[in-house]
Amino acid sequence: MLRNVFSIGLPWADGVIRLAVLWLAVIAAIAASRDDRHIAIDLAGRLLPDRVRRPVNALVELFTAAVAGLLAWHALSFVRDSFAFGDVLLGNWPAWIFQSILPIGFALLCYRYALRFLSRFVSRPRAEP
Amino acid sequence: MFAPGILLAILALLGAPLFAVIAASAMLGFSREGIDLSVTAIEFFGIAETPVLVAIPLFTFAGFLLSEGGAPQRLVRLSQALLGWLPGGLAMISLAACALFTAFTGASGVTIVALGALFFPALVQAGYSERFSLGLVTASGSLGLLFAPSLPLILYGVVAEAPIDDLFIAGILPGTLMLVALALYGYWMNRKPAGEREPGSAKAVLAAIRDARWELPLPFVVLGGIYSGYFAVSEAAAVTVVYVAIVEFVMLREVPWRSAARIVRDSMVLVGAILLILGMSLASTNYLIDIGVPQRMFELINEHVSGRGAFLAALLVFLLVLGAILDIFSAIVLVVPLIVPVAAQFGIHPIHLGIVFLAAMELGYLTPPIGLNLFISSYRFDRDIVAVYRATLPFLLVLTVCVAIIAYVPELSLLLLG
Repeated sequence: MLRNVFSIGLPWADGVIRLAVLWLAVIAAIAASRDDRHIAIDLAGRLLPDRVRRPVNALVELFTAAVAGLLAWHALSFVRDSFAFGDVLLGNWPAWIFQSILPIGFALLCYRYALRFLSRFVSRPRAEP
Repeated sequence: MFAPGILLAILALLGAPLFAVIAASAMLGFSREGIDLSVTAIEFFGIAETPVLVAIPLFTFAGFLLSEGGAPQRLVRLSQALLGWLPGGLAMISLAACALFTAFTGASGVTIVALGALFFPALVQAGYSERFSLGLVTASGSLGLLFAPSLPLILYGVVAEAPIDDLFIAGILPGTLMLVALALYGYWMNRKPAGEREPGSAKAVLAAIRDARWELPLPFVVLGGIYSGYFAVSEAAAVTVVYVAIVEFVMLREVPWRSAARIVRDSMVLVGAILLILGMSLASTNYLIDIGVPQRMFELINEHVSGRGAFLAALLVFLLVLGAILDIFSAIVLVVPLIVPVAAQFGIHPIHLGIVFLAAMELGYLTPPIGLNLFISSYRFDRDIVAVYRATLPFLLVLTVCVAIIAYVPELSLLLLG
């Protein structure tokens, strides 16, 4: 709009928007894992009998938690490196501030799936959706 | 080398979230090459370096908001008033309305649930057989993927690094072909109408137009803006959000302010799910490209099929199977980076490839036994899944012919590009 109507471009705005999309993506991904709405091939859910489905879901949750945990760990080392090298973004801001959402987000994904996995063993099994 | 891959495929089929499966395969690959795994985070951060991505959350939110209010009802009413009096007319206009709605709301089952649920009883009441109506409503759920500003088109442009404006233009004729083919089929099936039809009345049309006066300009503003080149894609997305928000919250007040937070959350959950997969696949496809998978794929395919025509046929079969198993967003993100270079070696234009890809994915939604639309329709209309298969099959066949035409007549996609 600004470009067409007022012929002004905001040179930094583009970078800010892209970073905002990244943050939005990670935060929304955390919300999606809360609702268990991540994109998956739901073949087993439709075809497997209930009895088999529970251990299968447990396995899937454990796997997902492990992957997310690994991602979080390596994202942390990415942010650490960037901190050590003093990378900057958007002119003069330290890049690690913007990147820190990655380890935090992956850690929360890991937490969510680990929680779902563990809750199968304490108290009664959760109702399957 | 294959064992972990097979394990991951099994996990995916058992319902593991695809982002985790993709991330695991990327990390496996990197560790095999002795590359530090923090590269996955670096690649994921690439989301912040990808242009136009902001259009995805914006259009998704606008689509969710649009289906929340009374827009679907008004669209149906207007459709009925406009063409309900013509034999096969209601079928035609429901196809067009569904296509328009899908273009704006993305390719999820929203169209079947929001619009199809209104058109289905209207069609049956107008004398169309139940089987025909069910098939039409199910099939039209994914029509419109080829029209601007559909999310899959945008995502394809982002992933294939093809100009999105060109894709929007390229989709017009192929999308119209699919629409017209289904409309003709609908007309031919209902030459001798049985039920009562509302006689056409200018008054009803005017009333329906007045009813829909706020939403009606939206397609013209957005599509006009995009096609004339006045808006860039992300600007069009921002304009759409502002426009829809003002209409639904302020002018019509159909959607109460307090549900805004819920709609934001609902729509962003979908965005999060898509972008998380996109981020992970940035890592995994870069790895696959680094180790030369597209080149090897090309050589492998070249050994078995010769020439462009045979390649296209193989591609179509592959895409049909893919579309039946995988949702459209994951399919784009995972497969497009690998097939774009392969198809280029067979002399296929990347824009044409995109249109073929999405058109074939549209069929995937309707392919038994696990096409997504079939399940949504069976669930929404409370019909046996096999009845839905049977009702949808003729529509699937018509669309298959269209997709073959789209694949073998590249001019259809490229003509308007000049």
